Amino acid sequence: MSFKVKREPVRSSWYLPGILVGLGFTFKKMLQNLFNQKKMVTLNYPEEKYQYGPRFKGNHVLTVKKDGSLRCTACMLCATNCPADCIRITASEHEDPSVEKFPISYEIDILRCVFCGFCEEACPVDAIRMGPEWQTAALNGSEFTYDIRHLAYRPQLKGGVPSVLDDQERHSAGI
Amino acid sequence: MPKCTINGKEIEVPQGTTVIEAFKMLGDDICHYCWHPGLSVAGVCRLCMVHIEGMPKLQIACNTEVRDGMVVTNQTDDVKDTVKWGLDFHLINHPLDCPICDQAGECGLQDQYMKFGKYDPEMAEPKVKKHKVVDLGPTVVLDSERCILCSRCVRFTEEVTETNELGIFNRGDRAEIGTVQGRPLDNNYSLNTVDICPVGALTSKDFRFRQRVWYLKDSESICPGCSTGCNVKVYFNEEGLWRVKPRYNAEVNGHWMCDEGRNTYKYVNAAHRLKKVKAGQSGDWSQEEVFPETMKLGEKFRAAAEKNPESIAVLVTGQYTNEEFKNFFEFVADELKVKNIFHWINNPEKFDDFDGLLLRGDKNPNTYGLKEEMKSRGGFKSLEDLQGKMSQFEWVLVLGPENQSQFPDLKEKVDLLSQAKSVIWLSACETPELDALRAPTHQIPMKTYIEKEGSFTNFKGLVQEFKRGTTVIEDALTLQEVVALLRGHELDYRNRPQPIGGTKKNHFTNVRGQL
Amino acid sequence: MSSLEVKLLSEHYDKPEFQGLEGYKKHGGYEVLVKALKMEPQKIIDEVKASGLRGRGGAGFPTGVKWGFLPNNDEPRYLLCNADEGEPGTFKDRVMMERAPHQLIEGMIISAFAVKSHKSYIYIRGEYDEPARILRKALDEAYEAGLLGKNILGSGFDHDMDLYRGAGAYICGEETGMISSLEGLKGQPKLKPPFPAIQGYLKKPTIVNNVETLAAVKYIIRDGADAYRKYGTEKSAGTKLFSISGNVVKPGTYEVPLGISLKDLIFDVCGGLKPGRKLKAVIPGGSSAPILTAEESLKVNMDYESLAQSGSMLGSGAVIVIDDSNDMVDLLDVTLHFYHHESCGQCTPCREGTGWISKITHSIKNGEGTTKDIDLIKNVAEHMMGKTICALSDAAAMPAISFVTKFRDEFEAYVNKGVERRGEDAHA
Repeated sequence: MSFKVKREPVRSSWYLPGILVGLGFTFKKMLQNLFNQKKMVTLNYPEEKYQYGPRFKGNHVLTVKKDGSLRCTACMLCATNCPADCIRITASEHEDPSVEKFPISYEIDILRCVFCGFCEEACPVDAIRMGPEWQTAALNGSEFTYDIRHLAYRPQLKGGVPSVLDDQERHSAGI
Repeated sequence: MPKCTINGKEIEVPQGTTVIEAFKMLGDDICHYCWHPGLSVAGVCRLCMVHIEGMPKLQIACNTEVRDGMVVTNQTDDVKDTVKWGLDFHLINHPLDCPICDQAGECGLQDQYMKFGKYDPEMAEPKVKKHKVVDLGPTVVLDSERCILCSRCVRFTEEVTETNELGIFNRGDRAEIGTVQGRPLDNNYSLNTVDICPVGALTSKDFRFRQRVWYLKDSESICPGCSTGCNVKVYFNEEGLWRVKPRYNAEVNGHWMCDEGRNTYKYVNAAHRLKKVKAGQSGDWSQEEVFPETMKLGEKFRAAAEKNPESIAVLVTGQYTNEEFKNFFEFVADELKVKNIFHWINNPEKFDDFDGLLLRGDKNPNTYGLKEEMKSRGGFKSLEDLQGKMSQFEWVLVLGPENQSQFPDLKEKVDLLSQAKSVIWLSACETPELDALRAPTHQIPMKTYIEKEGSFTNFKGLVQEFKRGTTVIEDALTLQEVVALLRGHELDYRNRPQPIGGTKKNHFTNVRGQL
Repeated sequence: MSSLEVKLLSEHYDKPEFQGLEGYKKHGGYEVLVKALKMEPQKIIDEVKASGLRGRGGAGFPTGVKWGFLPNNDEPRYLLCNADEGEPGTFKDRVMMERAPHQLIEGMIISAFAVKSHKSYIYIRGEYDEPARILRKALDEAYEAGLLGKNILGSGFDHDMDLYRGAGAYICGEETGMISSLEGLKGQPKLKPPFPAIQGYLKKPTIVNNVETLAAVKYIIRDGADAYRKYGTEKSAGTKLFSISGNVVKPGTYEVPLGISLKDLIFDVCGGLKPGRKLKAVIPGGSSAPILTAEESLKVNMDYESLAQSGSMLGSGAVIVIDDSNDMVDLLDVTLHFYHHESCGQCTPCREGTGWISKITHSIKNGEGTTKDIDLIKNVAEHMMGKTICALSDAAAMPAISFVTKFRDEFEAYVNKGVERRGEDAHA
């Protein structure tokens, strides 16, 4: 079986007019942007950054309790639910019997993470949230494995994000 | 043999069978907590309610004997409603801290709730507060809030171990499990209470918080801890082995196993294991590749044996499978005509001890099989013969114990063997005692019971087969493989069992920092 | 004294000397024993059967039939006297043990002779300090007089009797709970079957009877079954000691024939209510019996059948009269608190259920409840009924159901008051 390839007829063998029209548009926009910056559609990244909605699923944050310690109870539901298998937790027994279980290490391999948000959904105690940050640049490969220090206490978080769930309150309410 | 009808199915059961046992025989679902096949009937959880035709009230299946012509069902709305409410009663004061509870994933409450419950809770009052994280003894931690007071653990210490450490104190919904002051739960079977606890009230200190159970795979095996040969389940994942639990076998161990046997998973993990052939002597060891090194050894060994079989001594422990022993003795005793075969047993004074329940003084799983194998070959020579004659042996081949902690005279033997000219020591684990050997030695890494298949013959001659569960050290050898290599046969690398998971899932995570 | 009262068991209650052996003998004490020891044991059982005597402890099981359950062999067997009178509102046994201890002992020896038991125990409630002291003294007297021990009165019948003081648990009034306690175990009811008559105390056949039942045996043997049957109705024969408490003019223990109307009992025997008060409700058989409203209680007769018909029970005969000065929510709260406290904690529906309904009632009383909670009490209580080893769960559930159904308006008033108050709080 054979078939014919239908070619578009070449309308013009002259490219220059097209280029000039394009450049004209570019210069028009450049001048517009120079003199009327408010109407500019793009951002001057990295000086300016886009503000994402509060539900944006960016880099993870581990929340903290009122006393500043990790809210996470190391139940490993996030790790179980993670489709990318990028969460690794080591649990241990806390010396305070009212806490019982806590993570001694909590690592997220951010390069494997697909930002699906399942960890956030699986968490029964509001211990992990996905924050607004999304820039994940680093100088060394090992820096892409986020540990507790980064997830809960990185400088941007200003001492930690408090969790909405408090054990003391739950206990006094008899739950 | 009374005949009864259960949920429309007829079944004939032996005299004295209870209704719940008949349900289990049929494989029909019935909700229960306090009933356990290995313990007496308590009848307190009130969940195994059944409707028996001709009886006005619902009856508990665990305390009702099957009578001829009985028509039983647990499918009526009345029964279902009762079970639903029964579960609700169990759960109203249960803390629901499944996220931090070790039992989650294998919890009776979770299972039964998914099967028989599924209702909206109506309890809005404050829950009863009880003690949490109570230290019951060296092995067990209690969480009273999670406890549903099924009294299985209490009945276990009462009826099985007869040590009576546990009791229920206080009454009503303030009741708690506890021990009498100053008397911890420290018998050698204490961890069985953790197994039979249907909820997370009793947890094992050893396993506590180390893994979530849904990350673990299990494999059926035989405990290598002593000559009883309890049937066990070993739980592992790619990181190693985590715990050992008993498996029901009416002929051997029933439902139980001892705490000592539960420790048999520890030495199997990679941290304790010999990974390569260790060649050299005290203070000067080098790591060699397993296959070529063992083959090289084999050449020298065979040459020496052909020259003079009397120059070779073999020291055997009853820690290997029947198949391995057969293969080994065919090579050493039949082919090489070695006569100096000695039996090394762990502390001979306590060898015949028995604690009355399961644990035996003979810490080898296969002493019986070893003796059977040697019977036709004239038996063992006395170990005393070895004293002072060490230097006359060119080669001493030691089939070392898998679990060296069970052999208190290890150091003595190392001292004795240090007088030999050269030693081949087959060992699963790496220990400083072994590294103190002063004679030129090759330590060959061996597989453990969970990494190979075969059969053990227990103290009364019962042959029990077991399968391979996982592979921890890929290069470690079984005794058959050692024999093959010593004979000079090549081994096919590619067909050897791999550790589960193959390469690590997050391989690049582990190497990235080094790039 | 009202003409409706009879004097059989309580004949000599007013004579202080009746407490001692001398005084007791003066009024014909231990004469029946002499007569009984000459009878065939089976004859005594038949006589008791014929008298229609039913257990006076609460369940109302025919005593003669119960004795007939004992296996017919020479195995050692025990007779236990249940003097653990824990039911709130009951005090008839205490009065008897204080005023006529020998009457009980005599009744027990006769019963023991009938069931061929050589060892019996009186299990007395821990809180009964004075009765225990009196009984102990009476037992000593009986031993001294040769009425207990080897070869009683030369009849060749040996019998030992001992007094055992409980530790104050309501549940030890349940027969298997009492047996557990007597065995030195935690006072928890045992699974039935096996029933105590087959396997009870120390795994031997055991008969457990109430104080009043055992004392009544004496009078049945003395006067014969027919004379005893003259009192009471066809199915509920004999007299009964009623402990009447609450808002009546003359509360106390009264002996009346079974079948007397409750109206007569309250308004005639006990002198009626205090002036200006209106009858609101009556609990006819101890706190575990379902409550009767005023209208119901005026129609009912005090016998096993009539009360069962009206949806309640005779129980131990503890009549609690409630007039309009009482608050039903408060009453239920107290009652359920008691059962919550006394649940042994063995069976889950009772252990958790008593606590649950007690907590709900308490929150309703504190104005924190909702209308849904009222239904919930009933719902929970209904699912506690008949689901446990012993009847404590039923005992808590029955008043809860009856209170909530019959006096729902009072519960609703509490709920509404709470809603109003919360609304005001919200506004303020």
